[in-house]
Amino acid sequence: MDPFKRGVKNVLRNSTRSVAVIIILSLAVGLSLVMVVARQSVDQKISSIKSSVGNTITIAPAGFSNFSSLNNDLTTSQLSKIKNVDHVTSLSESLSDRLTTIGSSQPSFGFNSNSSNSTNQTSLTSPVTINLNNVRRHFFNASGSSAPTNFSLPITIIGTNNPYQVNQSTISITEGKIINGSSDNNNVIVSTSMASKNSLKVGSNFKAFNSTLNVVGIFKTTTKALGNTIVVPLSTLERLTSQSGAVTSAIATVDTSNNLSSTTSAIKKILGSNADVQNSQQQANATIQPLQSVKTIAVTSLIGSLIAGAIIIFLIMLLLVRERKREIGVLKALGASNVKVIKQFTSEATTLTLLAAILGIIIGGLAAGPITSTLINNTRSNNSSPTSFVQRGALTRQAGGGFAGPRFFSGRGFGGSLRANLLNVHAEVGWSIILYGLAVAIIIAFIGSSLASYLIANVRPAEVLRSE
Amino acid sequence: MLKVENLTKTFKQGESNITAVSKIGFSIKDGQFVSIIGKSGSGKSTLLSLLGTLEKPSSGSIVIDGEDVTKMSEHELTNYRCKSIGFVFQSYNLIPNLTAIENVMLPLEFAGLGKGKRFERAKQLLDQVEIVEDKQTRRPTRLSGGEQQRVAIARALANKPKLILADEPTGNLDSQTGKKIFDLLHNLARSENTTIVAVTHDLSIAGKTDKVFKITDGKLKA
Ligand SMILES: Nc1ncnc2c1ncn2[C@@H]1O[C@H](COP(=O)(O)OP(=O)(O)O)[C@@H](O)[C@H]1O
Ligand SMILES: [Mg+2]
Repeated sequence: MDPFKRGVKNVLRNSTRSVAVIIILSLAVGLSLVMVVARQSVDQKISSIKSSVGNTITIAPAGFSNFSSLNNDLTTSQLSKIKNVDHVTSLSESLSDRLTTIGSSQPSFGFNSNSSNSTNQTSLTSPVTINLNNVRRHFFNASGSSAPTNFSLPITIIGTNNPYQVNQSTISITEGKIINGSSDNNNVIVSTSMASKNSLKVGSNFKAFNSTLNVVGIFKTTTKALGNTIVVPLSTLERLTSQSGAVTSAIATVDTSNNLSSTTSAIKKILGSNADVQNSQQQANATIQPLQSVKTIAVTSLIGSLIAGAIIIFLIMLLLVRERKREIGVLKALGASNVKVIKQFTSEATTLTLLAAILGIIIGGLAAGPITSTLINNTRSNNSSPTSFVQRGALTRQAGGGFAGPRFFSGRGFGGSLRANLLNVHAEVGWSIILYGLAVAIIIAFIGSSLASYLIANVRPAEVLRSE
Repeated sequence: MLKVENLTKTFKQGESNITAVSKIGFSIKDGQFVSIIGKSGSGKSTLLSLLGTLEKPSSGSIVIDGEDVTKMSEHELTNYRCKSIGFVFQSYNLIPNLTAIENVMLPLEFAGLGKGKRFERAKQLLDQVEIVEDKQTRRPTRLSGGEQQRVAIARALANKPKLILADEPTGNLDSQTGKKIFDLLHNLARSENTTIVAVTHDLSIAGKTDKVFKITDGKLKA
């Protein structure tokens, strides 16, 4: 029997109380662990976003709201100045428009301005449909019963001078060849889903804008948003839509990330109020911001639960010391040093905390995934479009405009990959969380009992002779 | 040889001061059995806690074998209490969740004795105070008052102290058991030449000791 064993044994003295303390403490430990895991996965996400940030500057017409106002479009002459800006290594320009299927009666969903034009029609059918039962009902102002349940998103046609890079997504050709961005022929490439939906092969033809377009290649991308997309050379789309020299978005690539912000300013100066200019760093920051706040919540809660745990242990130690004042006096009268008595009480506290840690690790392991995703989802919906449908809307608009911001919220973008990250959280709830759990427990026990040690040292040994 | 000079202890109680022990002086030879009698609140326990270095006097000196214990540091006192003083209390003060033998092993542990030796010595002490083997592994709550006090005496004797201080050791026991405990203490002390200072209410017990000190209002009246 030494101070350590006595301390452990003392845990059993009032087992009901010990169990209560262990349960409360385990919640503190569990919460700490959840916050450690949350912080970790958010950190991972932030660094993966940061590392995927390119050296690009996105240029869109000011107040850009996709297909509504053509007169706002950028012009090739404005953009030609940007090509000469220092550090700009390349400039991809694109024009986008929408096509509906010939003979279809689609609900218009608000962004119908020039797509109601009878030439904006194609023989193709969009491969992307939305089940309207998943969409907020009040979106339909009139009789909800007459609304179709499945709605095909309009097909997006993008004219670009750089078909390798469409809307900041890298395109890879699975069949056929890529189009020549600087030509003015009727060659197009279509997405794999577009091809399979419409049984298109390399060499197939289809109708759009009352012209015949030839499929020369089929591509796949990492971005689902491009699933309903047809890509043509820039000049071709300008010709087909009679918008000579018009561009709806441009992406400038800068030589190194160090020159990104200075080049962004230079471009802003040239375009003035005509355009919204945003570089990839700023876009990433906008995405990272809500994550940072999750991180802050996680760190604050971690500290909070550590403090709570330490306070619980301190209070229980306070109770024990007061309750066993005479016993401490006895030990001191028998020749125990302060250190020995403190050791005994500390090992009692540590035993309680370690038992709580075991329970807390289990609780933390079970709760880490759900709590982290709740934290992130709540933050996400606070900072992005209010409904899923509007997000989808943003998605198609983005497909036209080339705004990378909304792209993070779409398909496999921001939310999706975070959720994917969370699936990995469980893989991480392994040895590391056990080590963290033990570390948390030791910190709690250490802080809690060092405060109580002061009280123990102050118990007078003469206490033992009091009111005999 | 225990020599006390001009010993005073004053407690601060709010505004007023309580002088629990006032200018007490006496000397006790090695191996003597001294009893202290006096009314409740007269300062007997306070005097005992001063002799046992549980409390620092406000003034005066306590010289034990030529060493003034009032001048020792906290660390030295811990050591001194461990090796040179044994305590016996009215309410036994055994640690409730330790067995009899574990209680006796405590001061041996504090003195730094090895595990095996602790057990052997504790067992021998319990045999000496006539606690049978079966009861040595019982917790205090499963022992009678007299048995608990025997265990406490074994614990007080563990490190072969020069001085045993007992505060009303028979106060919680019936007179017959009290007498037995007293005789036990007396015999053990005599065989080891241990000095004993015991506070008691029982005048028949006090009459059998070598010396009786009567304390009134913190003052000694021999
Ligand atoms: N720690 C203390 N603080 C204040 N007063 C005390 C303290 N200890 C004892 N006293 C007071 O000193 C006086 C003597 O007490 P005590 O030595 O316990 O008497 P006895 O043991 O003879 O009954 C009492 O008036 C008591 O209230
Ligand atoms: Mg008393």
